[in-house]
Amino acid sequence: MIITFEDFSWFGGGEMTKVEEIEIKDPKDVLRPRPWPVTPPATREEAKEIYKKRGPEAVDFVVWLEDILGYEKRFTKPEALTGIRVLDVGIWRLGNAFCSSLLAELGAEVIKIEPPTGDPLRYLTPFGREEYMLRDNVKGELCGLEFINEMRNKYSVTLNLEHPEGRELFKKLIPQVDVVIENYPPGYFDQLGIGYRQLSKINPRLIYCWIGILGQWGPMKDRVSKFGQWMLEPFGQAACSFIHNTGYPQDFLPRGSGGDPTRSAAWIADYAAGEQAAVNILAALWYREEVSGRGQFIEVTAAEALMDILDFDIAWYAFNRSIKARTGAWDPNLNQYAWNPCKDGYMMIGGQTDRLWYRIGMCISRDFPQFERLISEDPLLKEMAARNALEALIKTYTLTTMWLRNITRDVAEEKLMDYEIAAGPVMYLDEVAEYYHFKYRKFVDVIEDEYYGPILHCAPPLAYQHRTPARVKWMGRPLGIDNEHIYAKYLGIGPTQLRELKEKGII
Amino acid sequence: MGVMDLTEIIWCKHCNTVNYLDPYTFWNWKGKVKCAGCDRVYYVHIIQGFYYEGPKEMPPGEPYDIMPLYADKPLEGYESYKPGTPGRTRPYLCLPREIYLGKADKVKFSIRGRPVRGWAPQPPSSGLAGSQGFKWDIEKLSPDVWKEYQVKLRKGEVREW
Amino acid sequence: MREKVKPEIKFEEIPGPEELELEKMPYEEYCRKIFDPKKTFEKPEALKGIRWLSCTMYIFTPHSVSNLAELGAEVIKVEMPRAGDPMRHTSPFNEAYLYPLHDTRPFTGTGYGYFHANLNEYYISLDYHRPEAREIVYNLVRMSDGLTECYRPGTFHRWGIGYKQLCEINPRFIYVWGGGFGYGPKVFGGSYDILGQAQGGLASITGFHEDFGGHPVKHTNWVIDWYSGTMITVGVLAALYWRRKTGLGTMIEFSQVHCATRACGYGVPLYGRFGIVRQRWGNWDTQLCVHGIIRTGKSDYPNDPNPQLREEAKYVMVSAFQDEDFRELCYVIGRPDLWEKYKTHKERLKPEAQIEIYGALEQWASDKTRSEVVDILTDAGLLAMPVMNDKEVYECQHFRERGTIRWIEDPIFGDVLVHGGFSVGLLSETPRRVRWVWRPVGADNVRVYHELLGYPISQIKEWYDKGII
Repeated sequence: MIITFEDFSWFGGGEMTKVEEIEIKDPKDVLRPRPWPVTPPATREEAKEIYKKRGPEAVDFVVWLEDILGYEKRFTKPEALTGIRVLDVGIWRLGNAFCSSLLAELGAEVIKIEPPTGDPLRYLTPFGREEYMLRDNVKGELCGLEFINEMRNKYSVTLNLEHPEGRELFKKLIPQVDVVIENYPPGYFDQLGIGYRQLSKINPRLIYCWIGILGQWGPMKDRVSKFGQWMLEPFGQAACSFIHNTGYPQDFLPRGSGGDPTRSAAWIADYAAGEQAAVNILAALWYREEVSGRGQFIEVTAAEALMDILDFDIAWYAFNRSIKARTGAWDPNLNQYAWNPCKDGYMMIGGQTDRLWYRIGMCISRDFPQFERLISEDPLLKEMAARNALEALIKTYTLTTMWLRNITRDVAEEKLMDYEIAAGPVMYLDEVAEYYHFKYRKFVDVIEDEYYGPILHCAPPLAYQHRTPARVKWMGRPLGIDNEHIYAKYLGIGPTQLRELKEKGII
Repeated sequence: MGVMDLTEIIWCKHCNTVNYLDPYTFWNWKGKVKCAGCDRVYYVHIIQGFYYEGPKEMPPGEPYDIMPLYADKPLEGYESYKPGTPGRTRPYLCLPREIYLGKADKVKFSIRGRPVRGWAPQPPSSGLAGSQGFKWDIEKLSPDVWKEYQVKLRKGEVREW
Repeated sequence: MREKVKPEIKFEEIPGPEELELEKMPYEEYCRKIFDPKKTFEKPEALKGIRWLSCTMYIFTPHSVSNLAELGAEVIKVEMPRAGDPMRHTSPFNEAYLYPLHDTRPFTGTGYGYFHANLNEYYISLDYHRPEAREIVYNLVRMSDGLTECYRPGTFHRWGIGYKQLCEINPRFIYVWGGGFGYGPKVFGGSYDILGQAQGGLASITGFHEDFGGHPVKHTNWVIDWYSGTMITVGVLAALYWRRKTGLGTMIEFSQVHCATRACGYGVPLYGRFGIVRQRWGNWDTQLCVHGIIRTGKSDYPNDPNPQLREEAKYVMVSAFQDEDFRELCYVIGRPDLWEKYKTHKERLKPEAQIEIYGALEQWASDKTRSEVVDILTDAGLLAMPVMNDKEVYECQHFRERGTIRWIEDPIFGDVLVHGGFSVGLLSETPRRVRWVWRPVGADNVRVYHELLGYPISQIKEWYDKGII
């Protein structure tokens, strides 16, 4: 099999276009760099043709929008958090990593402090496959993609906090920073003499944020196993009823084949916690600058941050002892609001208010007239709230699928878009990377990383701003690659001293 | 043929009942479905949402594998069989409570026994332009609930959690 | 020589008995003290003085503003007259509603779907697209710090209240548009949480693999709405910080679908470099083993009438991926052969190994209840936890003590339980808080239009009769 790739413009200089043939003879050949995008995104002119469907005013508006906050302009603008210094001392989890990513994307200087052996997250790779890890071009060490993806704009520094001298160095950094993010087991840093109690003495302006799974205090606080293994996501998802409430009911699929409570593939509670940690840190920063002049201690946990997201689930129990059950891809609160199988995958359709509900009906009954009779005319389904009853969901989605099974996702999307219905296919990640809107907007983008080469990544969602867009400046960072720079900058430690420290196992 | 040839539903022409075969259970499915409206049993074999075989009416008395979750009669005033109607539809098990309502549960007290405004109708608002204060004068607006609450208090049915 | 001058010690810096106590007390007690949930309302709010307009619907953009309100900002939620936010009509299986005093529809309640996303706000009604509304919006904008809206792109612009117009009225104004897609070919595509999950790729990797009979799974209750809403708040706070320095407002255009892709972790770089498309892996983990959810044989509540307790209290999260932990686990379940076979993490992570290992675990658990499994593993010093349901979370002492789940007395709805707001982070100096859950449409019309903007009562009455507010 021979695959031809064109347009390697991302690979080298901007203008370069070359054609390369990859002959796949061996599984290893599959692992060679892929071109992205496979087909070029729409040009601005082509996009304008699409806006025109909404009239000339719409064209002007969207063009103006792109002019003032287009992704391409991000490096021509300042960064919101310039001058804020953050130490991310967390390992293993994505909560701290995502939190510091958000701050780093917005311009804070984030230094990730790792133990001399590295953050264990560095060594994780799907199914243990080393071939999915990247080797940096300086030290030649393998690093997992999960770590590289969340190492955006951060410096990597090694420091052994178990060594008393390491802790002394750490303390010397504290007066010079604004934020410390930490996620070690409860009380561990305090016991080492570098917890909030001690550090806030050194720097009362310090904002110290602990991000865990369940909490650093309370009857069910974070634990480690007797061998020292940490508690990681999805424990957070399990503890807040998220998993219980997610998945297909056994009425639709047998248990063991998907009819079970289901975890998120992502460490989603970590992401939720990391984000809320960033919110709380920025609020504390605001309060420090505006009012108090002092920092504070913040604690965010994965389980509790995700519990907020569960919306009303536990409040519903308190209302009438209902325990939210999983409902698969259907939502029991809105109708229509679900994805159902179609000819080539799954198609999501949403439209709850009467206006949208009947428009979906019009769209579907153009191809499938019985829909009108069975759905739009059914008195049971006339009232918005009544459409959320279980029987209403069964009827609506059964009929909708009768339409969907005949058409592919893109056809369904086009038809529904004509009626201005919010609709979209369930897409796999290759489809996401190639989706016409996403690649135009650079939802995903390639960066040529200094150490790891070209890396496709999800751009910061906050990158589309008039004044201070978020941005990705680099992705991965080999372990301790910034030791010389950071230790010289903050502690005045030169290369020979650094070498001594390394020999003593301190960095 | 006693049925209309549409997948995902079996429209039984004997009793004019539409049996809805939900798209997840039946997306790939083979077996015998009983009509909710009558005793007829249909054999279906569905692959990727399409009938590969059937729906084929089976001889009377044929044992069936499954019933639909929901069925109705659109030509007879949309009379319907909700999930779990004995002998007609199969019960839906993954429910939040043992009771299924499908309509508002008019609650007057939270599970710890204190008043919560979960019932209708409530008295009309008298505020200007829809304005409302930060006050729910239960004793005045809903004297019966207030009385019931006093009884609960006396009986010790009002808890902290 | 005179005696040495002692360094000056300010009186207020000498630690008092309470501070000394804080320094010495055991760590857990210390945390309990500084995060004491009983002290929430004695402490200041971080964002006091910020005023924000929430021209939002559903969950995603409302939540982005609610975050500010929980931190102490004053938020004015603007809804369409009479109708209100469509989210008010969402309730699970149509069963749970709260009913305010009513004007027009006595039997229409506000569903629990609306419960947590608009905390602490003031509620006004306004039909923006009426010409009379424009001046009202301008006046609100003059005395606010920012606005968040979620209408189709260009709608506010067409109504004369877009960023272009508002930043001239108030150059410090921060304008946020949150929606599905943002500029680009699908700019006018509408969006929902579920659409984000679907199109962002998150759904395709969540759930059981096709080969196991599974379909992509929707994360429960609007995870992407909430998660991307919070991301907006991050952007807003950063913009406020920038405005402190420069005095300049900004516009943030925010795509929700994008956020879902951001949560797909290594999936995007993996595709980009190797063309490998991440697939679903059910209740196990792709990067750690053992680290997944197993089904045990017996429920913890075999006789409870509630099916969620009787049938579903069977799942356990088990984690033993490090060598010693895995070894111990194999011995506990009586399968030392598995340890001999899979001594390295790399070996255990292979799909075939995972299938075998989790199969063995479920087999071991097949004659045990969920709590027996958790107890056995916990007693062996390993990490395990039941997959908790809403009742168990409600009853969990941990969350109660931490104040992350609380009963509050809502001023107009009475006794409700909140598990948002308080739960998204404990702040020692400026704790987040929930004062009330939500208010009826237009409940604060007089408070805002009359008391804040100074419009005469007769004017407000006229607007109300004309349906402008």
